[in-house]
Amino acid sequence: MNYLKMDLWQVREALKTGKITSVELTKLCFKRIKETSNLNTLISTCEEFALASAKAVDEARASGQKLGALAGIPIVIKDNINLTGTKTTCASKFLANFVSPYTATCAQKLVDAGAVIIGKANMDEFAMGSSNENSAFGVVRNPVNTDYVPGGSSGGSASSVASGQCFGALGTDTGGSIREPASFCGIVGLKPTYGRVSRYGVVAFASSLDQVGNLTRSVRDSAIMLGVIAGKDEHDMTSSSNAIPDYEKAITGSVKGLKIGIAKQFFNDKLNSEVRSSLDKAIQTYVDNGATKVEVDLPSLDTALAVYYILSSAEAASNLARFDGVKYGVQSKKFKDLVDLYFKSRTEGFGKEVKRRIMLGNYVLSSGYYDAFYRKAKRVQKVIRQEFEKAFEKCDIIVCPTTANPAFKIGEKSNDHLAMYLTDIFTVPINIAGLPALSMPCGKNSEGLPIGMQLIAPHWKETTLFNAGDFLEKALKEGK
Amino acid sequence: MPKIDINEAKKLAKLSRLEFNEAELANFVKEFDKTLEYMDTIQKVNTSNIDLHEKTINAKTQLRKDEVKNSFAQKDIIANAPQSEDGAFAVPITVEEGE
Repeated sequence: MNYLKMDLWQVREALKTGKITSVELTKLCFKRIKETSNLNTLISTCEEFALASAKAVDEARASGQKLGALAGIPIVIKDNINLTGTKTTCASKFLANFVSPYTATCAQKLVDAGAVIIGKANMDEFAMGSSNENSAFGVVRNPVNTDYVPGGSSGGSASSVASGQCFGALGTDTGGSIREPASFCGIVGLKPTYGRVSRYGVVAFASSLDQVGNLTRSVRDSAIMLGVIAGKDEHDMTSSSNAIPDYEKAITGSVKGLKIGIAKQFFNDKLNSEVRSSLDKAIQTYVDNGATKVEVDLPSLDTALAVYYILSSAEAASNLARFDGVKYGVQSKKFKDLVDLYFKSRTEGFGKEVKRRIMLGNYVLSSGYYDAFYRKAKRVQKVIRQEFEKAFEKCDIIVCPTTANPAFKIGEKSNDHLAMYLTDIFTVPINIAGLPALSMPCGKNSEGLPIGMQLIAPHWKETTLFNAGDFLEKALKEGK
Repeated sequence: MPKIDINEAKKLAKLSRLEFNEAELANFVKEFDKTLEYMDTIQKVNTSNIDLHEKTINAKTQLRKDEVKNSFAQKDIIANAPQSEDGAFAVPITVEEGE
């Protein structure tokens, strides 16, 4: 029995029925991490903590105690999520030695559900990137083909789940940072509705767009994990007190009557032909099983990426102003006075892409440009939101590719930042509108690289994503 | 079309508390022009009917009770400081004696 190939829900059953213990499972994961160390998925591991957690779950289970939804299951979290006593580096030189003095709410919820946190995943520095090449701890490799990027910024999380090092991972998604790597690595990635999961304890990139979500090997696993991490948190005023549905129960096995929205803007002539044909097949599968197809229009979609880079960079410039080299992080040794200490520490600590975003953010916020860029972008954001609202009057779900192309080679786009930004063209509109979206595998190209499909639902309708996603996942397996 | 020159780039760097050498700045200006050209595509969207002061999702103001509670221990927070003294963050002298 190869436990490391199992889905989270399958290993949950194996643990329940006593086929394997959590300690055994956790040891298998650490063995796998060592065997696949070339992928560079993790910045740090916490073996002692993990084995102690696993042992505690095994003992609780043996004594008949009631256990949480993730009891004994090894999980990885992205390295911008604080966990007391672990290093939280955000893959930045600036925070190379930062030790978390507290635990993020999403991580605490995992721990409370009995999850065994085994390590902190590599990422693009401060979650800025689409290839995981912007990490101070080295590039992460795609386990499907190690010459290719795993996507970013949650590239370590995606590569770890796809290579069987763990059964699920937390990531963060500001413009596609969960869905794009999930798509490139052939797994499932969920970006929940803005406000569904607390951001407390997650290092901020662009606070009005950031959302914590999960990466898993199946849609059902994604539903299970969201049920654990969702909910109101007194420490995050943007977290919602909306009721948390039983996400796993939302999976019904039927898509009869489901209205699928297709927007031509997602299927433009730049779309890779193999991606297009995989998507066409997936949509046809839905139609063959009782769903209907409706055309929807998102006329301003092509401006979402520009809106995204203006808003996210503006917020990043403000959020990253706190990195002054005084309270935590790197302090330069070569300063003349206090102001010079700020300059030198920031110049030495931040990587190139982070500096580029800070500069861009300060540009769009500075007098003379604020109205033309920042305020205009806020207005266009609202137009895009309204267009999605209108589209959802006609359909239950919108289906589109996660990315226009499958994964690219390491180094292929690292010198062209605009080409890199364009990778996220189909994922950023969802953050701009605050919607939930799920990326799932829907085929492979001729080179064997995974193709990702994105399902988008109205606010708070993650249930629709899980039902439709699970249906297609099974249909593809069974060749329906 | 918005453009940026080297002096503006220098000013931005100062605002950002970042240092760049001349070659980096020149390269930055070149890249930045390309980025701005792309960002400028938002101008084509008609937003004359948009009221930014209208309510958006999650816009309900949520207040917490004003209660005295334990927060972080001083020693835990100071533990990450590059330099500290007597439980406080240490910075270089900013006001000289006799000033």
